[in-house]
Amino acid sequence: MLPKKEQTHITEAYVATPPALFIIDEANNHWALGYKYQNLPDAPKGEYAFNVLVNGKSTGEFASRIERRFGKVRIFTRNGFKTWNGRSFF
Amino acid sequence: MSRQYIIPAANVSVANQAVSLVFIQAPTAAPVVVLEFLRAFVSQAANATSAQQRVQLNRQVATFPTLTSQAPVQLKDSDPASKIIGGTAGAAGTSGTNASAEGAGAKTVIYGDAFNVLNGWLWVPTPYETIIESAQATAEGFGLVFPAAPGTLTNWNFGLVFQELG
Repeated sequence: MLPKKEQTHITEAYVATPPALFIIDEANNHWALGYKYQNLPDAPKGEYAFNVLVNGKSTGEFASRIERRFGKVRIFTRNGFKTWNGRSFF
Repeated sequence: MSRQYIIPAANVSVANQAVSLVFIQAPTAAPVVVLEFLRAFVSQAANATSAQQRVQLNRQVATFPTLTSQAPVQLKDSDPASKIIGGTAGAAGTSGTNASAEGAGAKTVIYGDAFNVLNGWLWVPTPYETIIESAQATAEGFGLVFPAAPGTLTNWNFGLVFQELG
């Protein structure tokens, strides 16, 4: 999911993927779940987890959901929520 | 995991009616495979206008939609080609996209949803909720469907991901 040339849309707060296909933040970053599966024992219980992509590139994280909350992007992983600080998830 | 395939469509215009975006039917003749559906997605790039759109995953018996032929594409490049081939009639063992006519066959809704076109739509089941299709006594196919025409007909992207079992 590569960014478009100009920013035309910022995803509303409280939108999550899935069921949204992607999330666009204020910096025009396009967040999406990739096709690479995480092994089920390492994924959040009862859910598939996929590689987290930003602008089409892997962040190195696996998650079952990406959410926009309070102006920040966060992901749900086996170890709970991680929030994007602009460089990495913590 | 291997033998995963996608039936994709990019930047297409849909008809101004209910439309089967993707339709696939499991084979009835050897080699028989069972299809497990893992992901479906829809998005549009025509404009930045907020609008709600209904979407469904459903089963349909004959008569099937009239489609644009689209064979499944391997997600893993070195995988063998899918046992499903491209077809325009929704027949057993074939797949296609972007129906021009829906066909009169009855549809059974498995999963109905709605989404804002600005955000797109992604369906990823949990492992227990994957949908599995196999050959049935009464032929039936599986479709990703717009049950009503979208407000904007152009620049739609969508796809259906499945894996072949057995």
